[in-house]
Amino acid sequence: MSAAPAVVAEGLSKVFRPPSGFGEMLRGRFHGRPIPALTQVSFSVGPGEIVCVMGPNGAGKSTLVRILGGLLLPSSGIARVCGVDAQTGGSAFRRRVAFVVGDERSFHYRVSGRANLHYFAALHGLSAGEARRRAAALLDRVGLTAAADRRYQEYSRGMRQRLALARGLLAEPEVLLLDEPTLGLDPRGARDLRAFLRDDVIRKPGRTAIVCSNDPSEARALADRVLFLEAGKLHADAPPDRIEAELGL
Amino acid sequence: MTWFVRVMLAFIRRELSALGGYRAAFIIRMLGLVMAVASLVFLSRFVGAAANPHLASYGSNYLGFMVLGVLGAEFQQVGVSGLAQRIRTSQMMGTLEAEIATPAPPWMVLGAPPMYEFGAAALRSAAYLIAATLLLGLDLTLANWLTVALAIPLVVAAFSGLGLLAAGTTMLVRRLNPVAMVIGSLSFFLSGVLYPVTVLPDWLRAVGRLLPLTHTLAVLRGALLVGASPAALADSFVALMIFAGVLAPLGAAVFAFALRRARTDGSLSHY
Repeated sequence: MSAAPAVVAEGLSKVFRPPSGFGEMLRGRFHGRPIPALTQVSFSVGPGEIVCVMGPNGAGKSTLVRILGGLLLPSSGIARVCGVDAQTGGSAFRRRVAFVVGDERSFHYRVSGRANLHYFAALHGLSAGEARRRAAALLDRVGLTAAADRRYQEYSRGMRQRLALARGLLAEPEVLLLDEPTLGLDPRGARDLRAFLRDDVIRKPGRTAIVCSNDPSEARALADRVLFLEAGKLHADAPPDRIEAELGL
Repeated sequence: MTWFVRVMLAFIRRELSALGGYRAAFIIRMLGLVMAVASLVFLSRFVGAAANPHLASYGSNYLGFMVLGVLGAEFQQVGVSGLAQRIRTSQMMGTLEAEIATPAPPWMVLGAPPMYEFGAAALRSAAYLIAATLLLGLDLTLANWLTVALAIPLVVAAFSGLGLLAAGTTMLVRRLNPVAMVIGSLSFFLSGVLYPVTVLPDWLRAVGRLLPLTHTLAVLRGALLVGASPAALADSFVALMIFAGVLAPLGAAVFAFALRRARTDGSLSHY
């Protein structure tokens, strides 16, 4: 008997309704034109599997991982991670799933990388002592020990990405959701981070991972499978050697 | 509860660590406070000399009247604007989504900053009162500290309720805090921050009674300037209880709705 899937998406759709302009409001219309971001997306991911989500800008990749991470509510459909509904799972859900965002704005600029990790460790419920130990171990693991006490604003792009990864591992999650983890890194930095991600962070502890990326080399380096999104629709679920064909490269 | 204390302590450590980067701003703020106190002293000399009958119920202590008015208004400002300002900044900086993605419940993520701000405001107020007493001759010998201690939780609950309401509105309209602007302006005008409410026409005094700051100032001034007991200030205590009982759950409901809206329209990560 095969193990239960770690991630299940069933008929996920998302339509954004931006607020209308002032003139529209005067005419009684409070929302602008609906923008469909995802349409009936269904798939599942097995435990320990690494799945890459690819597609052009605006295809719905970030929307999909945000829904799977419980940060965005779908318009319809169900997302389950580790058997827990992402929409209603609350704290128990967020202990098992980590959302690692490539957005470098997600830390406090004026304090050190270490202090940032201590604060997020407290939000994970760790005591001050545990937070110190865990932060030190993770900083070492992502190669930031020497820079741990420098302010975040002094970090390079690659250091910021690695700190985001360390934050994602604070709670030892079962599932990692990574949104463009090597965005903006130089080729060598991106290659090293991918190797670290694949071998140390995902494969070794047997984690499940969903990685959003626009980069075929990233998908080839990391993924067991690739989901291709196009205008919010899942148009292919294929092995990495089909990337060029599916993307029309 | 232990979890919240951990978050609170981690937040305080982080804020203190960040303060190191704002030394100049900190010094300028302290200088501003010193000048504000000094101007109150000269104003009180000027106004106090007139032996104004409106100040009789405050022991004719205009310096005390003014200092407590300013402190009460600052407390309200912290409560009403603190959380909303924090949410706006977090959305703009992009930290809100990362914090909400942790296992900590949203109330814990967003509760620590205003608690810190209330604590800091209380310390500032204490320093202000001690400095005004020792250096400027503020007379607090009649103060009834029991009355103050009983009032503080009600004041914090009422202002926190307003704060949640303001924060929820900020998230919904994605602009800085219309509730805080309206409450702040009305309170400054009608709650007796700079002048006793007895100088207002009756109908404006009636409107002023609908504001928590009016009752907060009545309790603080009554307790600290003339030593009034809780029984003597019963009307204001009852009003503060009603404000706390209504505004805290109402604010929590509006905020929960706004958070759900942010998760629906994807605005946790942008502003």
